Amino acid sequence: MMIKKLILLVGLVSSTLFAQVKSEVEVPYVSYEIKMGKGFDAVNGNCLMCHSFGYIINQGPQSREFWKKKIDKMITHFKAPIDEKSQKIILDYLYKHYGNGKLK
Amino acid sequence: MKRRDFFKVSIAASTAIVGSSLSAGETTQPITGRSISKFTFPEKKPMITYSDRPPLLEAPRDVFTQSLTPNDEFFVRWHLPDIPTYIDPDTYTIKIDGLVERELNISLKSLKHDFEQVEVTAVLQCGGNSRSAFHPIPGGIQWGSGAMGCAKWKGVRLSDILDRAGLKKNAQWIGFNGLEKAAYYKTPNFVRELHLEELDDHVILAYEMNGEDLPYLNGYPLRLVLPGYYSDSWVKMMSHITVTNKYKSLFFMDEAYRVPDNKTESETPEKHFKPTKPIAKMNVKSVIGYPLEGAKISHNSQLVVRGVAFDSGLGIKDVKISLDDGKTWESSLLDNNAGRYAYKAFRFSFKPSTYGKINIMAKAINRLGEEQPLAKDILWNHGGYKYNGIDVVTIEVV
Repeated sequence: MMIKKLILLVGLVSSTLFAQVKSEVEVPYVSYEIKMGKGFDAVNGNCLMCHSFGYIINQGPQSREFWKKKIDKMITHFKAPIDEKSQKIILDYLYKHYGNGKLK
Repeated sequence: MKRRDFFKVSIAASTAIVGSSLSAGETTQPITGRSISKFTFPEKKPMITYSDRPPLLEAPRDVFTQSLTPNDEFFVRWHLPDIPTYIDPDTYTIKIDGLVERELNISLKSLKHDFEQVEVTAVLQCGGNSRSAFHPIPGGIQWGSGAMGCAKWKGVRLSDILDRAGLKKNAQWIGFNGLEKAAYYKTPNFVRELHLEELDDHVILAYEMNGEDLPYLNGYPLRLVLPGYYSDSWVKMMSHITVTNKYKSLFFMDEAYRVPDNKTESETPEKHFKPTKPIAKMNVKSVIGYPLEGAKISHNSQLVVRGVAFDSGLGIKDVKISLDDGKTWESSLLDNNAGRYAYKAFRFSFKPSTYGKINIMAKAINRLGEEQPLAKDILWNHGGYKYNGIDVVTIEVV
């Protein structure tokens, strides 16, 4: 008897789980505390299109060359349409706020 | 990579660690004890959260006392920002085309009823797990030790599906694509390609994880399970399998998830080594789930150190514990075998007899005799991949 009840319970539990994905799921929006400063608008306008600021903050402090290569990668491999002027502004911003003080 | 080649490489990597002239800093323990986010994601408990879009969630370390990782604490890593937020399991199909005799569109229902159902317990680990151990900091998310988990996966053998479709004679490469999409249509899809040789009978398309539907963030309703391999090829929300005779040049294959193709899989920050090779199979590793870093333990108590160990599927033979900074090592107790791709949970009990700090060290050894190196002996690579240092947790006896 006890076992039958248990089986019934298991059945109910798994149908609830199923129901959770039957409807639309919602991924929460996380507001990362990104540093404000000169060039932020270009970062906001170009980077956020594809990824959260978490990606920037969680790379750790990096060299100017590192950030340059990251921007190049976004343009070359991920096809982000970032114009040359914005590239420079974004690089200056990233190096100033998330740089390690080294050029290379 | 052929199996034999892999053995050669990994033996070399674990023994040849002398005579380096690298400018890279010393590898340390990965960051531990990062705080749990206050945000909860669908079907998940609050986890260490690096990004919401694409979602990147790390499991807290105390999960690694269990030989199966609960679905709601299983790590999450996507590559592209646009993930479907609704999937209808009644109409979901997977397409198989390319060099096959019969193109197939298989529904979820058909997968569950018209094929043999199989299960495999296997570890899923990001190639960049523990990246925060490397110095200077390699690019990429600075994971602690929690970009990994172990689950019992249920599904259908990939080989059974390919048999049903009938591979043409010149078939060589299998491409896998899921439903995640980029913001720009020109961005390459997250397609993975595997050579037929790499796909044995343990490779499955899984729809179930630990007895439940796959969580949405772990690839609902269907993902590739490649036991022994790092997670980059375990394609989520799998929708399309294409068979070809030629390797296509793809960003996510040719640029990402690769290490230097040399004996020690290492390079210097100044000069990155070429050529590179895919990170492919996992090396031997262990993580202590209890106690946690900085724990204060009473002098008179009986302490049970617990954790998990795994490798690429050769099988863990022993997990040794040291309490004297590596001078002496003692074997721990290993749990029952859930198969060679699963976590081996280990436990080691002792009574602290001195006051003050103790470094608890765990070192896994596999059946081939490969063992974890000390963190400081792990050489640098620019992707920060494949860290597998002896795990160290420092506690204080009070």
